[in-house]
Amino acid sequence: MKILALNGSVRKYGNTEILLKQALMGAEAEGAEVEHLKLTDYEIGPCQGCGLCLFRENVCQVKDNTHVIFEKVEAADGVILGAPCYFLELTAIVKQLIDRTWIVGHNKIGKPPKPASVIVPYATRGWIPYIFMQANILFNTMCLTKINQAAICTQGISEVVMDEGAIALADRMGREIVEAVRTQDLHYRGEEGVCPRCHDKLLRVLQDRETIECPTCGVRGKLYIVNGKIDVRFEEEAWKGCRFNLDVSYNHYTYHIAPSKDYFLRTKDERKKRSQKYREYLEK
Amino acid sequence: MANYMVKLRYYVGDPLVDIKIEDLKKIGKQYGTDISYEKIENREMKNGLLMEETMNKRIEDISQEVVTVVGDDEKKFSDCIRALYKKYRSPRTAYSLMGSNETGRKIAWELMEVCSGWE
Repeated sequence: MKILALNGSVRKYGNTEILLKQALMGAEAEGAEVEHLKLTDYEIGPCQGCGLCLFRENVCQVKDNTHVIFEKVEAADGVILGAPCYFLELTAIVKQLIDRTWIVGHNKIGKPPKPASVIVPYATRGWIPYIFMQANILFNTMCLTKINQAAICTQGISEVVMDEGAIALADRMGREIVEAVRTQDLHYRGEEGVCPRCHDKLLRVLQDRETIECPTCGVRGKLYIVNGKIDVRFEEEAWKGCRFNLDVSYNHYTYHIAPSKDYFLRTKDERKKRSQKYREYLEK
Repeated sequence: MANYMVKLRYYVGDPLVDIKIEDLKKIGKQYGTDISYEKIENREMKNGLLMEETMNKRIEDISQEVVTVVGDDEKKFSDCIRALYKKYRSPRTAYSLMGSNETGRKIAWELMEVCSGWE
């Protein structure tokens, strides 16, 4: 059994690395083979938006190391993502990786889910609203099922070693991943959010001011106030529309993306004519 | 020829609820517009999923439900589009109004910005 830690921090021996390594120590103690992969050691270029991964299966024109990361995730039985939060969300390299995962989507059909967890060290309480959303997107696009998440309040480099509770939690999360692989029990073990699928607490209010949506899953529900507390309810039927369901993501690709090729070709001459002035503007 | 004509192309999974001809008739009658409906179904069951190859097909030929609305009065036409968006949400893609006339397309496109049901 192999457990892979993806580290989204540039810092060497920083809090992210310490927490991830502690999680790997826990996994190793449970008998797993472990690997620590620093995303920043790899060249992960920005998605060029060329559409090749969408219009030709498994082709990406960006020549860098991203495929190595995808191969390592593919080969692993469980994944632990770690990344610091510097400004409300995770580091840019995680988003860069998310944008490149379209190529993974082609191979989703028939893949069994694997367990994953995320650990995020951060400095100031209240400055972390989007950290789990990014992790959820990455996990969903890579066929990983989140079984736990942790935000760890710590600040200076390596200071997290002073927090015995955080170290113990990371250790437990590493052991949990191994247990989940062994038992194939991928139930969520972390603190519950408002969305029962991604377990996040983020909600989007739609324009009708009646409907709310989990912005990650794209599932709609309603808000109620019960005994002075906000209660969020999603109809059972609404889960069929979750954007990460296999059929929904298949339909998105098949009916929203692939046919755009026809539209693109049909508008070719007119587009060329209208866009000419932008090609010339400020270019001389 | 009618002043306003729009083709709302709903692809698989786009409408919020099932599109039924009787509901369309009611909405058309309420707003004094002509509404017609066409369903194109080309999906086949493979690997437990209803699948279709759409990459090299014409947009008009892939599986979809097309709601065509025709009217001469701008206000009635706009209100009808609003009612359809409220019930089904608007279509989603840049090419989802293909085949409309320019006056109808413009209204339907602008209403997507204000009451699409997606935002």
